[in-house]
Amino acid sequence: MQHFLAQGGDLTVPDINYAAVLPVLIVFGAAAISVLLEAFLPKHRRWSAQVGVSIAAIIGAGVALVAYIGNAPAGGITTFRAAEATGGALAVDAPALFLWGTLLALGLGCVLLIADRSVEPGGAFISQAGMTGATQTRIQAQVTGMQTEVFPLTLFALGGMMTFCASNDLLTMFIALEVLSLPLYLMCGLARRRRLLSQEAAVKYFLLGAFASAFFLFGLSLLYGYAGSVKLADIANAAAGTDRSDTLLFAGVGLVVVGLLFKGSVGPFHTWTPDVYQGAPTPITAFMAACTKVAAFGGMLRVLFVAFEPTSWEWESALWAVAVISMAIGAILGLTQRDLKRMIAYSSIAHAGFLVIGAISLTENGLSGTLFYLLAYGFTTIAVFGVISLVRDSKGEATDLSAWAGLARRSPLVAGVFTFLLLALAGIPLTSGFIGKFAVFSAAFADGKAVLVVIALVASAVAAFFYLRVVVLMYFSEPAAEGPAVTVPGAFTTAAITLGTVVTLVLGVVPGFAMDWAGAGGFAF
Amino acid sequence: MTSMLTAGLVLAQSPAQQAVTTGEAVAFWVLGPMALAGALGMVFMRSAVHSALWLVMTMLSLGVLYMVQNAPFLGFTQIIVYTGAVMMLFLFVLMMAGRDSSDSVVEVIRGQRLFAAIFGLGFAGLLVTALTRSLTDVTPAAPLDPGSATGGGAGGLGRLIFTEYLFAFELTSVLLIVAALAGIVLAYRDRRDEGPKRSQKELVEARFRGEYERPSPRPGPGVFATGNSVATPALLPDGTVAPESLSDLIESTTTARLVAERERVSGPQHDDARALLGAPEDAPEGAADEEGEK
Repeated sequence: MQHFLAQGGDLTVPDINYAAVLPVLIVFGAAAISVLLEAFLPKHRRWSAQVGVSIAAIIGAGVALVAYIGNAPAGGITTFRAAEATGGALAVDAPALFLWGTLLALGLGCVLLIADRSVEPGGAFISQAGMTGATQTRIQAQVTGMQTEVFPLTLFALGGMMTFCASNDLLTMFIALEVLSLPLYLMCGLARRRRLLSQEAAVKYFLLGAFASAFFLFGLSLLYGYAGSVKLADIANAAAGTDRSDTLLFAGVGLVVVGLLFKGSVGPFHTWTPDVYQGAPTPITAFMAACTKVAAFGGMLRVLFVAFEPTSWEWESALWAVAVISMAIGAILGLTQRDLKRMIAYSSIAHAGFLVIGAISLTENGLSGTLFYLLAYGFTTIAVFGVISLVRDSKGEATDLSAWAGLARRSPLVAGVFTFLLLALAGIPLTSGFIGKFAVFSAAFADGKAVLVVIALVASAVAAFFYLRVVVLMYFSEPAAEGPAVTVPGAFTTAAITLGTVVTLVLGVVPGFAMDWAGAGGFAF
Repeated sequence: MTSMLTAGLVLAQSPAQQAVTTGEAVAFWVLGPMALAGALGMVFMRSAVHSALWLVMTMLSLGVLYMVQNAPFLGFTQIIVYTGAVMMLFLFVLMMAGRDSSDSVVEVIRGQRLFAAIFGLGFAGLLVTALTRSLTDVTPAAPLDPGSATGGGAGGLGRLIFTEYLFAFELTSVLLIVAALAGIVLAYRDRRDEGPKRSQKELVEARFRGEYERPSPRPGPGVFATGNSVATPALLPDGTVAPESLSDLIESTTTARLVAERERVSGPQHDDARALLGAPEDAPEGAADEEGEK
C-alpha cells in the first residue's frame, strides 16, 4: 500500500484533433463566457451581449465546421484517443458532421426565437424564475426584462447535443445526455405566461427524464458488465463472440434504448411530450422538438449501427413494435387534440415513429434517410412554433383550435405560411416532409420491411387528417368575434420563421445536395 | 469509475479465488453480520433517523470490507461519499423537516402490497440465482493489485481520467456549471426590483394598518411545547394548539400525543384546570378541528 502514489510511469497525453472538435469547443467556450457576462454585466446590457455572444458562437462554430469538412479525412476519425486505446471518446465522422451542421443551423433558428422581445413584450421568458405566487404578479407588471441565463443554458444544451451524437462510448454519451437535459428541464419552467402550467411541465420533464437517465445508466452498467468496456466498438466486438451471458447484453440493450427513445419522445415512452410541449415557453418547445429530436436520434443511430448491429436480429422486432405504437399513438391521439401545441406534440410522436423506421433499417440508405428526415423535420418544426407564437390574445398565445378559425381572412400571409408548414408535416410533395418520408420509407422497403411501410403510410394518412383540419379551419370558417390578433413579428422571429419555411421549401424542391451530404459516409469507431 | 466497477465485480469472486487468510475471515465474520444487521435495522426501525443511522452502519461495514478485499480506494470512497456526504445530508434534511414527522401510511396505489410482494420475491429470486451461479460456474477474476496501473487503485483511476476518459471528465465540469447556474436561476430573487427595503418603523406601521395577516410574528414553539422541531405546534397558555403555528407543508405531530403530554405537564386534574385543556366552545377553530380528529 505504500507504493500507492509511486505507481507510475509517464502519462501519455491523449491524441486530440482540435480542428475536428473545434465546433463543440466553441459552443461550450461561448457558453462559459456567457455565464461570466451574466455575472459581471449590468442588467440592462445583458440581453444584447448574450444575444451577440450566442449568435456569434453558433456562426463561429458553423464556420469551423465548414472549414473542417473541407479537408476532413474520408472515413471519419475518432479523437480524444488514449495512447493505448483503439478508439477515442468522440467520433467525428460523416454522420456526426451532418448532425452538427443540422444542430447548429436549428440552434441558430431557436436562439433567434428565444431572443425575440417584440411578439411578447420583454420576451417569452419570465424575468425572475425564483418568484412565486402573489409577488410575481405584482412585480411582473413592472419588470419586462427576461431571465437572460436562458442564453448560456441554450448554448450548453446545444453543446451537449453535439457531443451526444458524436459520443463513441456510452459513458461520454451519458454525461452528454445530462448536459443536454438539465438546461432543458430548467428552461421549460421559465414561461412568462401560465406559470403553473410551465412549472408543472418542468417538474414532469425533470422527474420522467431522471427515470430515463437512470434506465440509460443501468443499461450502461449492464453492458459494461457484459463487454468489460463502455466503448461502442468493444460492445459490438463482444456481442459478435458468443461465449458470454446474453442476459446482460439484452437487458443492457433494452435499457439503453429505452433511455434514448424517451429523449426522442417515441411512444410508448412519450407521456411527457404533450404536457411539456404545451407548458414550456414556445421558443423552448421549438428547441426541444427540433434539436433534442436530432440529438436523440443521432445518438440512437450511432448506438444501433455501431454497438448493437451484430445483435440486430434480437432487438429489431421490439423496435418494429415501438415504431408502430409510436405512429399509432401520434396519429390517433393527435386527432382528438383541441390545443395546437399539444397537437404538434402528438405529431412529433408520430414523426418519431417514422424516424425509428429509418433507424432500424441498418443500411446506408436507412442512415442517410433518417439524417435527412431529421434535418427536414427540425426546420419545419421551428417555423411551426414560430408561427404559433404569433397568434395571440389578451392572455398570451391563443393555442386553442377555435381561436384559429378564419385566420386566413385576418392574415393571409401567416395562414399561408402555416398551411405550407402543415402540409410539410403531413408529407405532401414539394415539401421537405415528402422527401424525408420517401427516403425513409424506401430505405425500409429495400430492407424488407414492407409491412412496416404500409402501416406507416396509413399512419401518415390519418395524421394528414388533423393537419388538414387546421387548414380547413383557417380558410373556411367564420372568424370568432373576440378572436386573437396576429402579432407582426420583429426581425428575430421573422428571420427564424423565414429560415424554417425556406429550408422546408428548398429541401422539398431540390433535396439532392442535402441527400448527398447525409449519405456522405458511415460511422467511424 | 471503471476501476471502481471492476473492483466491485471482482469483490464477489475473490474469496473463491484463493485460500482465505485468517485475518480476512475474521474481518468478514465480524463485518458481514454487522452489515446485515444494519440493513435489517434500517428496514424495521420506525423512526427515520434511526433507519438512517442503521444504514450508516451497513455502509461503514461495506467500506471496511472493500478495504479488506484490497480495494482501499473504493472503500474510502464508500465511507467519504456515501456515509460522510450522502447520509449526513439525508440526516440534515430529516432533522430540518422534523424528526417527529411521520410518513403518511395511506396507500395511494391500488394493490400496492401485492405488487410489492411479487416484485420483492422476484428480485430476491434473481439475486439468489445470480449469487448461486457466481459460486459455481464463473471463472474468478484475478485479485486486485492497487499498486499496479490497472489494479483498481486510485492511481489507475487517475490515469484513466486523464487519458481514456479525459473528454468525459471535462464534460462533467460543464455539467457542474449547468447545475450551479440552474440552481441560481431557480432560487435567486433580486429584491432590488421590489423597491427599497422597509425600515423597522415602516414595517410596524404597515403591520398595524393591516397590510399583513397579524401584527405580531407567528408563534414559535410555545411554553408547553416539548420539542423545537417545526413539526411540533406551539401551545397557547390554555394548553390548546395555536393554529397559526401549524405548518401547511409538514404533517404536524398528532394531537393525541400532545394531549397526553399536556396532561403530564398539567399534573392531576382539578376542577378549575378546565382552562388548561380549553373549553371546546371557545377553543380556536384549528384546535377544535384537531380535537375532533381524535
